[in-house]
Amino acid sequence: MRDTERREPGSGPEPEAHLRLEGVGKRFGSIVALDGLDLEVRHGEFYCLLGASAAGKTTALRVISGLETPGGGRVVFDGEEIAGVPSPDRGIAMVFQTFALYPHLSVFENLAYPLREARTPGPEIRARVAEMAEMLRIGHVLQRKPETASGGEQQRIAIGRALIRRPRLLLLDEPLTNLDAKLRHDMRAEFKRLHRELGTTMLYATPDELEALGMGERIGVLRDGRIVQTGSPDELYEHPVDTYVGQMVGSPKMNLAPAQRGEGLTVATSFADVSGGPWTGTLADLPQQAGLLLGFRPTDIRPAGGAPRGPRFPARVHLTEPLGDVTVVDLDIAEDMYRMVLPESEAVGFRPGDRLDVEIAVEQTHLFHRDTGAAIGRDVAPPSGAAAA
Amino acid sequence: MRRQIGRAGWGWTGFSAVVSFIYFFPVLWIVLTAFKAHTDALAIPPKWIFTPTLENFVSVFARAYIKGQTAVDTNFDVYFFNSIFIAGSSVLIALIIGTLAAYGFSRYPLKGNNTYLFIILTTRMLPPIVVIIPIFLMFRVSGLSGTYLGVILLYTAFNLPFTIWMMKSFFDELSPEVEDAARLDGSNGYRVFFRVCMPQVKAGLAATAVFGLILTWNEFLFALLLTGVETRTVPVAMAQTIGGDIGVRWGLLAAIETLFLIPVVVVVYVLQNHLLRGVTFGTIRR
Repeated sequence: MRDTERREPGSGPEPEAHLRLEGVGKRFGSIVALDGLDLEVRHGEFYCLLGASAAGKTTALRVISGLETPGGGRVVFDGEEIAGVPSPDRGIAMVFQTFALYPHLSVFENLAYPLREARTPGPEIRARVAEMAEMLRIGHVLQRKPETASGGEQQRIAIGRALIRRPRLLLLDEPLTNLDAKLRHDMRAEFKRLHRELGTTMLYATPDELEALGMGERIGVLRDGRIVQTGSPDELYEHPVDTYVGQMVGSPKMNLAPAQRGEGLTVATSFADVSGGPWTGTLADLPQQAGLLLGFRPTDIRPAGGAPRGPRFPARVHLTEPLGDVTVVDLDIAEDMYRMVLPESEAVGFRPGDRLDVEIAVEQTHLFHRDTGAAIGRDVAPPSGAAAA
Repeated sequence: MRRQIGRAGWGWTGFSAVVSFIYFFPVLWIVLTAFKAHTDALAIPPKWIFTPTLENFVSVFARAYIKGQTAVDTNFDVYFFNSIFIAGSSVLIALIIGTLAAYGFSRYPLKGNNTYLFIILTTRMLPPIVVIIPIFLMFRVSGLSGTYLGVILLYTAFNLPFTIWMMKSFFDELSPEVEDAARLDGSNGYRVFFRVCMPQVKAGLAATAVFGLILTWNEFLFALLLTGVETRTVPVAMAQTIGGDIGVRWGLLAAIETLFLIPVVVVVYVLQNHLLRGVTFGTIRR
């Protein structure tokens, strides 16, 4: 794991960790769900855990909440090891993917349930439910059963039930998966609003990089039960540590061209010799013919024209996919398929079979080892704050 | 105009009515016969218009066994109490044990869970007539023969497999995340079970109870051999009522049957809202 964390110069001591997982393992039979997971969430942060399905996101949240006991390692919350602390006493609440509302109770009773279990007096329950209902705009469904509420309302009820005990940490397990696309967008804004208003630390698990990039202040990319990279959305986008992160973050995903080290400080692909990329400095350390992958995002390949920004080479249009404001063009370059994203206006007139010259913005390219997928360092290690600048 | 989905036309409604009537006709026949005098009950062709009488119902509980003698108590009040008490207790006990077992099988599966469930089911695979002799001998030896305890135990054992299987399927349908949520909200295992799981399987509980009740209510063979004079149930007593000095007293039998139907009708009526969801195993959503 490499932490490409951005640190403001002179920002003083490292921010205190709110939640820290150290080498947490968990297996179910022969399946390893968590493989020495290290994770650090700071006070008041919106942290996104990004990973494909079965990467271990849900298991990680269940371990933190206490629904599962870790097979090894430490879970430290506010400076306290919480492995032995019963779930309700941890000050941690969770919103489930399926909302998990109590179907036999009214919305009011759903919200009141955690308070009743904590033997809160009746008047206080009513006051806090009313307050929560107002904040989440679900006052009009309080007397109904949850199943009669709309998807977005059910989601907000689930959030309300989690927040009503005023947890110090809120875990969200793919909370938008069960909503339709339009609602998802609204709820993203809702989560950000709640985070801003409440200041509660949020740990948000999602397989959707758009959600992670859009909401997360920091993102941890989870793969096979361990974090492969942590950083701000920009850092992950600009400096992926390997091809997995490179392809996970950004849509459409990053193009990877098989390559090897060519003459001098060049990288030879099947369509061009590329030189002058940010990785040039480290290229000298690699043996000749070393197996490489050249990564470039679909937005960094363009029809040639104007001042050259990198190597130019011929391509053939295979398919165009207009998506409204942008068009995704599948290009056939030296027998391999690559994606190019263009503003809709620039892609007008492209037909399958058309030939054109394209160029890559060489400054934006990435270089990876072909065997391990690990990124090959840039000339200068990622400078502090450079990604955000 | 498109026909509204879900609303049948007159044709289908009429057809359903005819089919329903065919099924319901025997019940109607019994109830009518119960109100007929002996000669009316035997009349061919059947009489549709007759003077109703409550004579049959009176003689269910007290009648003269030989013409001319004074009426004596038939003990049918005891038999009805026995039927209600035995069926009610055994179904209740089976529901309590079976629901707990089903929750265990559903939530904390053993290694070889399905094997256990299958073995439980096999206890119902043997026809009663096959197992009646060993059970009869066991009851004789243990002194359970003719006691309430014995017959309730037996019916409980017979209701259990069915109860476990049915309730397990209802528990399997519940979302485990809801239970996890309750655990995070501060509920311990008992409260998760009683406050979160049980309210969600009410319909299943009702359906299972009704199936068990009907099964036990109608049971004849075991009751015939294993109940005593004091613990006799209505089906056995009914069989023993057949015959007599004037041939089969159809009116009397029909009156017993009519009375015997009432508890079933009442229970089903009370639980009807739950039953629809229960018997369809939750496939019909509210």
